[in-house]
Amino acid sequence: MNWTRRQALWAGGSIGAAALLTACGGGENDAASSPADSAGTPRKGGTLRIGALGRASATTRDPHGTQGNESDYLIIALVYDTLTAPGLKDNTVGRLASGWTPSGDLKTWRFTIAKGAAFHDGSPVTADDVVWSLRRLRNTPAGAARLPGIKAENITAGGKDTVVLVSDQPNAELPLLTRLSTFVLKKDTPDKEIAGAPGTGPFKLDWFRSGNARLLRNDKWHGGPVHLDAIEVTMFESPQAMANALLGGQIDVASNVGAVAARSAASRKDIQLVRRPNDMAMPVVMRAADGPFADVRVREAMKLVVDREAMVKQVLSGYGTVANDILGTGDPAYAKDIPQRSRDLAKAKKLLAEAKFDLSKTYELVTTEDVPGLAESATLFADQAREAGIKIKVVKQESGAFYEKTWLKGQLYTNYWGTNDSVVFFASKTMVTGAGQSEAGWSDPQFDAVYRKVIGTADKKARATALRELQQIEHDKSGYLLWGMADGIDLAGPKVRNLPKLPGYGRVQLENVWLTR
Amino acid sequence: MSQAASEGAGAAAPPAAPALRRAATAAARTGVVLAKRALMLGVLLAVVFAAIELLPGDAASATSERGESAADTAARRHLLGLDRPVWERFGDWMTALPTGDLGTSARGERVTGLLAAPFPNTLLLGATAFALTFAAALALGCRAALHPGGTVDRIIGFTSGIALALPEFVVSVGLLLVLSLWTGWLPAVTLTAPDGSPASWTMLVMPVLALTVPQAGWNARIVRGALADQAGAPHVAAARLDGLSPRRVLLRHALPGAWPAIATGAATSTGMLLGGAVVVETLFNYPGLGTVLSGAVADRDTPVIAGVVACTGAVISLVLLCADLVRARTLGARP
Repeated sequence: MNWTRRQALWAGGSIGAAALLTACGGGENDAASSPADSAGTPRKGGTLRIGALGRASATTRDPHGTQGNESDYLIIALVYDTLTAPGLKDNTVGRLASGWTPSGDLKTWRFTIAKGAAFHDGSPVTADDVVWSLRRLRNTPAGAARLPGIKAENITAGGKDTVVLVSDQPNAELPLLTRLSTFVLKKDTPDKEIAGAPGTGPFKLDWFRSGNARLLRNDKWHGGPVHLDAIEVTMFESPQAMANALLGGQIDVASNVGAVAARSAASRKDIQLVRRPNDMAMPVVMRAADGPFADVRVREAMKLVVDREAMVKQVLSGYGTVANDILGTGDPAYAKDIPQRSRDLAKAKKLLAEAKFDLSKTYELVTTEDVPGLAESATLFADQAREAGIKIKVVKQESGAFYEKTWLKGQLYTNYWGTNDSVVFFASKTMVTGAGQSEAGWSDPQFDAVYRKVIGTADKKARATALRELQQIEHDKSGYLLWGMADGIDLAGPKVRNLPKLPGYGRVQLENVWLTR
Repeated sequence: MSQAASEGAGAAAPPAAPALRRAATAAARTGVVLAKRALMLGVLLAVVFAAIELLPGDAASATSERGESAADTAARRHLLGLDRPVWERFGDWMTALPTGDLGTSARGERVTGLLAAPFPNTLLLGATAFALTFAAALALGCRAALHPGGTVDRIIGFTSGIALALPEFVVSVGLLLVLSLWTGWLPAVTLTAPDGSPASWTMLVMPVLALTVPQAGWNARIVRGALADQAGAPHVAAARLDGLSPRRVLLRHALPGAWPAIATGAATSTGMLLGGAVVVETLFNYPGLGTVLSGAVADRDTPVIAGVVACTGAVISLVLLCADLVRARTLGARP
């Protein structure tokens, strides 16, 4: 999944190599096709060679397992279908489900399986297969987080091609929860046969070896025609090796390769840079329940202290956008009209004085090196806070220790979310009182009331109004300082067309990709 | 044999007996050395277990998915046996080892399965680099020793000094720039074939060179030094005074005495080669043990790390044993 705990073991090395590569990049000739081709008609055929990050020790073949590797998730997502998928205009679009309808109280959701959906061995997909798969997913250790609010026994078949999900609470956005890991397998697939089990996806597995795989087109895919003949996935341990493979023409796409590699390839005209905005949030979390940041004025002051443009420029190398302390920036319902908070040291100092914030003390900001830029963001923020007289010491924690000791408990720490989930998704998961992952320990009655209104309102207009209000409260009071959003960055060779531009998991939807001659 | 026969003539035992006995004691000595090496490997694995135990976090927390509750993580910890004392887990793992069972990784994959493709790949990389290192070091060391203090000797001494000081990482980046990104002669990274091995032999060239250059520098100096030591030996001096050609003196009289030092130097290189492979494999995306190891350490995945250590440790022990035997043969001393 996107929550990998990647160690930045080779970070120093990669940066050194990147600098060297940048220096030598210009001289290459590019006899490739002109960018004008991008508007051409899709051509059928060809093999897409794609690189994705992964570690040999962490490979997994189970669609419902913990996918620590991007490469594994990519392979699984091409072979198996989820019920729904991320979309650009609508946050959630159909995949294996062609449609869904809620009950009046927004608790019971009926999903219809797409017409013609069949497994790679030819057998049709039934509601029983879906129910079995969703229950299997729900019963994994992280199942409660993957299908929150839906008990295993409340996933049932409502006919041959209908699956019924009953939520514990009303949830207007339930289909969103089925976008990520609801991969459907045949009912009663034994654990031993999971690795080679047939899926329903646009590609079928030809071979898999040590994290690398070759996939062939599924000509009978229910989702429409697939252009590519085959996809070859190569697993890479380091982003720099992946970028080198792309520069050397050994692969066509370097998936989610990151800003450092993007910089090193920037001088090459034949390399396409695909930026997927709103890909990753790296907020600073302030504990609202107790401690020095319990006072809302202190939290607001911290939000005023940060220089967002500088953060985006330095931490993300410019590959990102400034954010406004509201999580869910990729949501079509994101409130773009709430005025952007910007740096105001005078106001921050005034608020801190009013709240009697102890400026003589040094506060610890705990961070990890799980994703590139995270630790850097903490350091830069600490520097910026010093200008307002706040003394912050950055403490780097090893990933495992961080999740055991700091996450959900710490007073000031960095965090990251790598999916383009909705505003409501983040609210229900992290902010509403009693949320399973209340990272800031924030509890606000007004927010809770509006939240209940949002998830329980079926009427679109009334819901939009409530959603706007929800975001305003989050902006004003929550424990999240969200300074910016990192772009997802893919690199592609000159022949590749129509790569997905979606943030988060949208990047694995390669069925519309095609290659020029 | 003739010596053995003449010794045996005066004894009560049949003439061949002393030779047999000697062979038996040699085998016993080899057995003792083997046992010592095996014990050393056992101690090493115990240290590995203890070291991972000392690292912050464990496999259950390192491989948990965000959103797992503390109870779920605890359940997985129990499932992985991490709630048992480390010595108990070590005991279980060690007793299963002779049957070829390396245990199960934190993500539920068989460790033998995880290492099945990468181990032969690393052996191929390491063995090729070792052979090349040995050949290059021997050639350079001998060439340098032929005319001590000459221009060639000084050039070889200087360049091998630089080569041994270069980390594999620097050599790798240099090779990558020159042989791949500038000239396009060689593929930049290793792609994997359906059988799990490198897709083309050309993909082996740069990783092998990156490992060879520093080690060849180191070994060339050892060869040169060992030959210099031998040059002062009486029998070499005698051969020189007999008017034999420098080449003949070097190859027939000095080199045989230098073997123990050369073999020991080469044997220690095995560890360096396999250690350097961790870095080199990552840079060139070579599908070997190094990439498995670096990920396993991040995951606190003790059975995987121990499996890698056992495999590489066995190889290093074997090579050290060979070096010991070379030493014993040359010096006639107890191994």
